[in-house]
Parts: sequence; C-alpha cells; structure tokens
Amino acid sequence: MTPLINPVTLFFASIFTSNILLSNFLGMCSFISISKDWKSSFGLGMAVTVVMTITAAISWVVLFYVITPLGLEYLSFIVFIVVIAAVVQILEMVIDRASPALYLSLGIFLPLITVNCAILGAILFLQIRSYNFLQSVAFGAGSGLGWWLAIMLLAAIRERTEKSPVPAGLKGPGITMITIGFMAMAFIGFSGMIAVQ
Amino acid sequence: MKNSKAYMVLKDNLWTNNPIFIQILGICSTLAVTNNVRNTLIMSAGVTFATALSSMTLSAMKDLLPRKVRMIIQVVVMSFYVILLDILLRAYLPDVSKQLGPYVGLIITNCILMGRAEAYAAANTPLMSLWDGLTSGLGYMAVLVAISIIREILGFGTLLGIRVMPEGFVTWTIMIMAPSAFFFVAMVMWWAKTVQAKGKVGQGAKPAAPAGAQPAAATTVANKETSK
Amino acid sequence: MKKDSTLYVVLFTFIVCAVFVVVLAVANEGTKDLVAANKQFATQSAVLGALGIPYADAAEASAKYAAEVTEAKTTDYRSWKAIVEGTSYAAVEQSGAGLWGTITIILAATADGENVRGVRVLAQLETPGLGGRIEEPWFLGQFEGEKSPGGKVAMKAGAEASGKADADKANGRVEGISGATRTSQAFGSIVNAGLERIKAGGVK
Repeated sequence: MTPLINPVTLFFASIFTSNILLSNFLGMCSFISISKDWKSSFGLGMAVTVVMTITAAISWVVLFYVITPLGLEYLSFIVFIVVIAAVVQILEMVIDRASPALYLSLGIFLPLITVNCAILGAILFLQIRSYNFLQSVAFGAGSGLGWWLAIMLLAAIRERTEKSPVPAGLKGPGITMITIGFMAMAFIGFSGMIAVQ
Repeated sequence: MKNSKAYMVLKDNLWTNNPIFIQILGICSTLAVTNNVRNTLIMSAGVTFATALSSMTLSAMKDLLPRKVRMIIQVVVMSFYVILLDILLRAYLPDVSKQLGPYVGLIITNCILMGRAEAYAAANTPLMSLWDGLTSGLGYMAVLVAISIIREILGFGTLLGIRVMPEGFVTWTIMIMAPSAFFFVAMVMWWAKTVQAKGKVGQGAKPAAPAGAQPAAATTVANKETSK
Repeated sequence: MKKDSTLYVVLFTFIVCAVFVVVLAVANEGTKDLVAANKQFATQSAVLGALGIPYADAAEASAKYAAEVTEAKTTDYRSWKAIVEGTSYAAVEQSGAGLWGTITIILAATADGENVRGVRVLAQLETPGLGGRIEEPWFLGQFEGEKSPGGKVAMKAGAEASGKADADKANGRVEGISGATRTSQAFGSIVNAGLERIKAGGVK
C-alpha cells in the first residue's frame, strides 16, 4: 500500500529527519574515507545525489513494469545492482565527455558509488515502502542531498579535528566515529520538525 | 606450512587487520541492527556466509574472469549468495527475516565482501579464500556482538531477550538509537589501536612510548587510507 | 578465445548470470510453498493472538483457527468473527501510515467498539529497536481487555509518555514508546480507525 506522503514533505524529511546516512547508517564507507578532503567530499556528494535520483527513478520504472508483473521479486537485488552499475558507467562516460576536469577530480569515486550502500539502500527502501514514482524521485533526491549535506558537514569538522590534539589511539577513524555520533544525535533533534504523515 | 598460513590469516582478520576497527569496512548496515544481540548474531552470520562463499567462488573463477567486467561479476556473485540467504531466511526463519528487513539485501553492499574479493580472492586459492572470508566475517562478528551486548543490556535491560538488569533499571534509550553505535565503535578502535601500538613499541627498537605511539598510530591510519 | 575479447566477455557474463539466475529460480520455486505457509501462519497466529486464543504451535494454531474463527464476508478488508470465553468479538485488519511505511494490525474488539480484546502487528517498517517495539508484548499487552469509551483509545506519547506499560485497563489509555513518539501516535490512530471499522458494523 502506497503511503500517503506528500513528495515535497518526503523530500525534506529524507534530508533532515531521516537522513540516509545519520539515521539509517547507509553509505558509511566512502563517507569516512573521503570526508578527509573538502573538495573531494563536494564532488562525491554531488555524484551520489545525481546517481541516487536517477537510479531511484529508473528502479521504480523497472520495479513497476518488469519485476512486479513478472513476479521476479527475488531477483530484485541483482536487477537493482545492475541498474546502479549501468547508471554509474553511463554517468562516467557523460562526465568524461562533458567536463574532463570534473572527471579527473571525481575519477576513482564513480566506481566506488556502485557499491555505496546508500544507493542500493534507498532503492530497497522505496521498494519496501511501495512509494509511487513521484515519491521515489523525491526520496532519491532527498536522500542524496542528505548524504551530501552530511559529508560536507563531516569534512568541515574533520578539518578542525585534524589540527586538534587528539589521543593517538583515536586519531583518524576513531575521532571521526565520535564526530559522526554527535552529528547523528544532532540530527535526531530534527525529528518531529516535519510531519511525515 | 599451510597450517601456519591459515593461522596467519585468522590472526590477521581477527586482530591485526580487523575489518571494523582497522580496515573500517562494513560499518554501514550492521550499525543499524546491532541494538540487540540476536539480530547482530544473525546479520553477522549472514555477512560471514556471504563473504566466505563469494570469496571462494570468485577465487575459483579468477582465471576465467575478464578484466572489464570484474566488478560487475563480483557484485553478481555477492548478490547471488545474499539472495540465497534471503530466500532461506524467508522460508525457514520468517520472523528473523521480518526483523532484518531491507538490511539483508544491504549485505551485498557491505564493503567487507568487496574488500575481501579484491584484496584476497583475486590472488589466492578458493579454499584459502573461503577461510579468509570466514575469518573476516568472524572478526566482524566479534566486534559487533561485543558492542551489541553492551547496547542491549543498557538499552533494553535484556540479553538475548532474557532480562538481566533489575526491574527498577531505567533503560538508556540512547543505547538503542543510532549515535551510541558510533561511540562504541570509536571506543573499540581506541582500545585496539592503543594495544596494537604498544605491541609495536614493545617489539621495535623505538625509544620512548609517546614518540613511538604516534608514528605507529600514524602508520596504521596511513595503511587504512591507502587500502580503501 | 582471448579473455579480453568482446565475445568472450559477453559470453562469460551471460553464462555466469544465467547460471546464477537459474539456481535462484529453483531455490525460489522450491521454497514458495513454505513461504506461503509462513505467511498464512503469520496471519492466523495474529488473528488468534488478537482474539486471545492460545495455541502451542503451528499445528495447533491451524486447528484452532479452523475450529473457532469464522472468516467474515467483508470486501475491502479482511475480518473475522469468534466467540471467546462466552463473548462475541469481531477482528479486522487495519492499515495506516506509520512513520516510515504502512503499519498493518489485526484488532479484535466487541462489536460496539467499547472493549478492545487485543491487537497484533502484521506488518510494520518502523525503526528497529524504537518504533519497531510496537510488536513487543509489553506494549501490545496494554490493549488486551482495555476499555475504549466511545470507540477510542488514548495514546500517551511524546513528553507525556513514561515508557512503561499502562496497567489500568479501565482508563482507556495506553502508553507510547519513549523515543518513538510518531510511531506511537500513528499506532494509536490506526487502532482507533480499526475500532471505527468494527463499530461501523461491516463484520457479519
């Protein structure tokens, strides 16, 4: 049953109150490793947002017109992964043609996005929650933006913590984890701000 | 010879190169379900199962695998085992399947599977790859179960559903929620890195402890950064 | 054939995918009946649970369901009737928007909607460990035998929630889950909608 959520509300909710990274823990790996660098974070965040929105739209179409009518639900994971891989591959080619400079800076991240749990996660969520097309796109775009926001925030904070006196054992991933924990707590404060009903 | 190689892999994956606190892999989907021990055990068992079998399969295929489609085939193999796991859970453990929901599917993108496939299975025999996958999963499971034990006791007052805290205990709701998982992983990392750094100082010819701890910690961080 | 030639790549990918898909299809077919049986058991046990009819295992659940519960002839939703311990109850399936997805419950109550017999959750997508706790016995137990004056149960959620079950069955109030305000409120609305449904008298 499709929930009665307004796509615009859903869009904002996915950015703040149910941030795919800080509330649902998806997309951590590249989040932790890339957030060391502000510029890379920006580029990766943008790429993730674009990929998420496009794959959400395409996956919904595939889900609605291919998987469900043919009863192939058990193959959903494989199909979604292939869609993601294909979109990333095409995006890579498009970026390469359109702006070689952007391609050089984003370079290795694009293949990384294929296994970014946030993207597959967003698609699985939209399947389970039976969103309609508009909701799926809103959800994909919002989740991507939320991820982007989170990685920018973390990159900014990390620039400070790198220069601070952190105990040796906590340096690097340790203090990053604690930072993320606080960010997650802060984002919990958003819940209730937007009525997702 | 084989025996000690197997042992080295075991030690590596459980301690020196533990997926969670050293390699920083697989943080994603499992942080979400580790607020109680039962779900953690099942999720990490699933990850172990999928990693071990896909590593083995990919290793068996490695001589036939064309370079161009390496990543896609890796993902297809992983998806295969995860879907199999999902089908088996739905049929034989339906309430578990319901509890884990979409997080079973997310095992596919759990970086540990891809990480082991690239780092080990691509260059080792199927049997050793199976072992490597198994031990990585165990290293992963160990950390997560430890964290979930604390989270469940403080957050629910139970352990595996059995009440352990006294009746009047006010549960720490924060333990059930997202942030506590991060804090605990950070604590584990801190502990592990400090212990490992001390070990290195003890072995090596490094002088005083503080000066020795810094470069040791820095090298481990640098290693992690180059590996992912 | 060279490993990197296009033909090899395409052939290899195709064969690998085909093999895996076939194995999965077999596994899926093989477990289909089991999965369907699980689903049926889930519904039946939820209905029995809501009606307060105890059962020891799946076999007994099936038997008791067949013996004591009648499936009513409603069209838009599923419903059941049963006489338990001398009183006649109606049970309905009710769905509503939860925080993150649809929550579906089975609600059993007297036909006038003034007394709740019990509630069981059939499906929910709430946060595990938080909103997901609506399935826990302490929470659902509050509804068992709870009075619902005017066909409504009041859900105490948010700042008012104490997080402990409300043991008073006569006050028509239940406690929400601390830390899961929205889910608790949604759940309350769904229960009340279910009571409306029963009161409307469609369950014949």
